[in-house]
Amino acid sequence: MLKIENIYKTFNAGTVNEKTALNGVSLHLNEGDFVTVIGGNGAGKSTLLNAVAGVWPVDEGSITIGGVDVTRLPEHKRAKYIGRVFQDPMMGTAATMQIEENLALAARRGKGRTLRSGITKAEREEYREMLKILDLGLEDRMTSKVGLLSGGQRQALTLLMASLVKPKLLLLDEHTAALDPKTAAKVLAATETIVQRDHLTTLMITHNMRDAIAHGNRLIMMYEGRVALDISGEEKKKLTVEDLLAKFGQATGSDEADDKLLLG
Amino acid sequence: MLDFLNALPGAVSQGLIWGIMAIGVYLTYKILDIADLTVDGSFCTGGAMFVVLFSQGVNIWLALLAAVGAGMLAGLVTGLLHTVCGIPAILAGILTQLGLWSVNLAIMSMKANVALNIINPDVLNRLLVSLRFVQDVGNGARPFYQHPIFVVGIFTLVIIGVLYWFFGTELGCSIRATGANQAMARAQGINTRRNQVLGLMISNGLVALSGALLSQYQGFADANMGRGAIVIGLAAVIIGEVIFAKVFHNFGLKLLAVSIGAILYYMVVQLVLSLKLMDSNYLKLLSAVVVAIFLSVPYWKGKYFSKPVKRGGVSRA
Amino acid sequence: MKMRWKAGAALLALTMAVGLAGCGNQSAQQTQSGTQQGDGKTYTVGIVQLTPHEALDQATQGFQDTLKEEFGEQVVFDYQNAANDPATCSTIANGFVSAGVDLIMANASSAVQAAASATGTIPVLGTSVTEYGVALGIENFSGTVGTNVSGTSDLAPLDQQAAMIQEWCPDAKSVGLLFCSAEPNSQYQVDTVQAFLEKLGYTCTQYAFSDSNDMAAVTQTAADNSDVIYVPTDNTVASNASIVDNICRPAKIPVFAGEQGICAGCGVATLSISYYDLGVTTGQMAIKILKGEADISQMPIEYAPQFTKMYNQAICDDLGLTPPEGYTPIPTE
Repeated sequence: MLKIENIYKTFNAGTVNEKTALNGVSLHLNEGDFVTVIGGNGAGKSTLLNAVAGVWPVDEGSITIGGVDVTRLPEHKRAKYIGRVFQDPMMGTAATMQIEENLALAARRGKGRTLRSGITKAEREEYREMLKILDLGLEDRMTSKVGLLSGGQRQALTLLMASLVKPKLLLLDEHTAALDPKTAAKVLAATETIVQRDHLTTLMITHNMRDAIAHGNRLIMMYEGRVALDISGEEKKKLTVEDLLAKFGQATGSDEADDKLLLG
Repeated sequence: MLDFLNALPGAVSQGLIWGIMAIGVYLTYKILDIADLTVDGSFCTGGAMFVVLFSQGVNIWLALLAAVGAGMLAGLVTGLLHTVCGIPAILAGILTQLGLWSVNLAIMSMKANVALNIINPDVLNRLLVSLRFVQDVGNGARPFYQHPIFVVGIFTLVIIGVLYWFFGTELGCSIRATGANQAMARAQGINTRRNQVLGLMISNGLVALSGALLSQYQGFADANMGRGAIVIGLAAVIIGEVIFAKVFHNFGLKLLAVSIGAILYYMVVQLVLSLKLMDSNYLKLLSAVVVAIFLSVPYWKGKYFSKPVKRGGVSRA
Repeated sequence: MKMRWKAGAALLALTMAVGLAGCGNQSAQQTQSGTQQGDGKTYTVGIVQLTPHEALDQATQGFQDTLKEEFGEQVVFDYQNAANDPATCSTIANGFVSAGVDLIMANASSAVQAAASATGTIPVLGTSVTEYGVALGIENFSGTVGTNVSGTSDLAPLDQQAAMIQEWCPDAKSVGLLFCSAEPNSQYQVDTVQAFLEKLGYTCTQYAFSDSNDMAAVTQTAADNSDVIYVPTDNTVASNASIVDNICRPAKIPVFAGEQGICAGCGVATLSISYYDLGVTTGQMAIKILKGEADISQMPIEYAPQFTKMYNQAICDDLGLTPPEGYTPIPTE
C-alpha cells in the first residue's frame, strides 16, 4: 500500500544548522498493516510522516501510495489518499467553524470543491450517528464551534475526520501526546476501533513504548534518520520493553539511548 | 444639531457605499486572516475604471462590472505575489497598492482626477447613485427608489445574500477553512493557495465596486481617493463587531453588522464636521486611534483582565 | 463581564471623539441654517476647500473679505477644509446642502466636483480651478457651465502668455513646450498656448515627461531643439525647477513660465496672478448672485482681473536679456 524508497531530507542545507533528518529511509507497508513508530527526539519520526504527507518535497527517493507515485504531488493533492491526526490538537480542526462543518470539509477530501451546498441535511444525520460512536456527547453540539472543545474531544473529532473518507493511509503523529493519560487512553481506544473496523493501513508515531508494543502488527524504531529496527509477526506479539531496549542497543551499538527513548 | 440631522441621509448613503468596501475588508481580514493592503489602491482602480468607461458612453452596468473585474485583477496580483512568489501577505498588498498608483493614473489617461459630467442632466439621469439624488428625493424631484440609501441598500443586501450563499457552498467552506487553519485545510485536500488568491480576488472586487459607486456618488474619481481605505474598512469591521457581537451570530448578519459599522463611522465623521467638533485635518488621526484602541482591547483583556480562576475550580489546561 | 467591556470600549471611543473635539474647537462660527432670502437678511455661505495651502487660503481670504465688505454682519461663513482627502469634500458638501446654505464656494477641483454633485440648485462658485471643462468632464467647454456652477480660473490668460514670449524673443523660431504628461491641466494649457503661438508664427513642439525621473532627459532634448522653452503651471516642474535651470541656463535657452514660482526657479519671465485677487473676483460674482442681480447659469468663468509681468533678474543677467518695459523683478529672499 505504501512504498517508501530510499528517501533523504536535509534541512537548512549549507548552513550551520544543517540537519539530515531522513537519511535513506525505505519502508514498505502492506494493505491493512498497522505500524507503530518509535524513536528518540530528532530520530526522524515526524519528518518521515511529513515526507509522506507532502508538507515539503523530499530531496531524493520516491513515495508511492496504493500504486500512485506521489513524490511530486503537493500536500493538498496527496490528501486524497491520506488521513492525518496531528500531535497538536489545535492543528487538525478549524476552531472557528462548527463541528458539523469540520466534518463536512473532511467528507469532501479528495473531491472537487464545487458550488454545491457545503453540508446537506442527510450528511448531518450521518454525522450525528458517527459522533455517537465517539461517546463524547458531541452529537448534541453539532453546531458548536470546534474552538470550544477540549483537546481530547478535538483529537477524537480529527480522528473521525481522517477516517470519514476511507484513506489509503492513516498517519497518526503522536496524536495522544498532548492529552492527559485518561483521555489519551480513550482516544487510543477509539483509534484501535476505527482502524480495525475499516482495515486502515496505518502509521502511528508514539512516544510510549508500551502503546507501541500493544498496538499494531508491526513496530519500527527510528534512529538518526534511518529505520533501526523493524519487528513484525510473532516476534512483535511477544515483544517486551526490555527486549526492545536490548535489540535497539544491538542495532545501533548504543546503550545510552535508553533514557532518551523512554522519555521520548 | 439640526444641520447634522439634515445631513444624516447623505452620511448614511456614503456609509453604505463604504460598507461594501468594508465587507471586502472583512473577507480578507476576518475570514482569510490576511491584512490586505491592496485595498487602498484597488478602491481607486474601481472608481477610475468606472468613470473612464462611463464617460465614454459604456453602459453603466458594464462599467460597474469592468470596475469589479479590475479590482479582482488587483486581488489576483496580490494573491500570486503572496502564494506563488512567497512574499508575505502584507508586503504583497503594499507592492500591489504602490503599483496600482501608476495603473490608476494610466486608466485615467495620466490624470490625477477625472470627473463625470454631472452638469449634463442626461449623464446625471443615467447614474444609479449621486449625492444630488439625496436632495432630489428629499424635495420630491425624484422617486424614493432613486435615493442612494435605497439603491446602495439593495446592492448591500444582494451582496450579503450572495456571499452568505457562497460561503455555505463546498468552495466557500473550503475558503473559510483556509483562513481558519491552513494545515488542517491542506490535510483535508484543500488547495489553500488557490483559495487565498480567490478570496483576495472576491474581496478586491467588492472594494472596487465600492470605489465605483463612490465615484458615481461624488461625481469624480481621484488618484487619492483610496488613501486610508483599509483603516476605514477595519474601523467598520470593528465597530460592527463590538456593537453586534452579542446579537449577531449568523454569517449574513455579521456582514450586515460590518455595513452598519461603516454607516456609524460616516455618521460620526459627519457629526464631527457638521458640529465643528474638530478640525477636519484630524479625521485620519481619529480613525487610526479608534482602530488602534479597538484592536488592542482584546489583547489587553486577555493580558490584564482575564477572569480569575475560582478556588477549587478546574484548571483550564 | 464581556458585555460591559464592549460597552466600555464604545464609550471610550465616544469620549475620544468628544475629547479631541475640545482641542480643535477654534472655528466655532455660528451657522444658521435655512436663512430667509431678501434684503436685510443674513446670508450663509459654505466654503469647502480641498486642503490648507497658501494659494488656496489666499483665495478664500479674498473671497471672505469681499463679501464682508459688502454685507458686513449679514454674511456668515461656514469654512471647512477636507485635509486633502477628496472623499471628505463630498461629506462637507453634503453638510452644506442639507444645512441649506445660500451659496457654496468650492476651492480647488475636487471641491467643485463634490459640490456640483451635491446640489443642482444652490449656487456653486469654484475657484483655484485651472480649467472647468477638464474639472467637470465637459467636452467642448464653451466658457459657461450653464447650471448652478460657475467660478474663477487661476490661469493667467494664455494669449497674453504667448504675447509675452513674442515680446521677449521676437526673433526666435521654435518653441519647446515642456510639461508633465500626468497633469491634465498642463496638457490643456500647452495645447491652448500652442495654438496662440502658432498664430504668431512660431513652430511648436511638445516635450512631455512622465515623472521627475525622466524629466532631465526630456528637458535636454527640448533645449537641444528649441530657441525658447515654455513651461505651463505644472506641479512637477514647480518641484524640480532646478533641473530645468541646470540644463537651460548653460545652453542659453530662455524659459518662460506659467506662474511665478516656476519662474523664480528656472524662468526668464512670467505673468503672475494673485490668488487673493482671484478670491475677490469670486466674491464679486457671489455678491451679484446673492443679491439676485445675476443668474449663475448665465455667468461665464472669470479670470484674475489683473496680472503682474515679472522677470527673473539673475537668469536675465546670465543670458544677457534686457527686460522690456513694464516688467518687475521677482523678489528674492
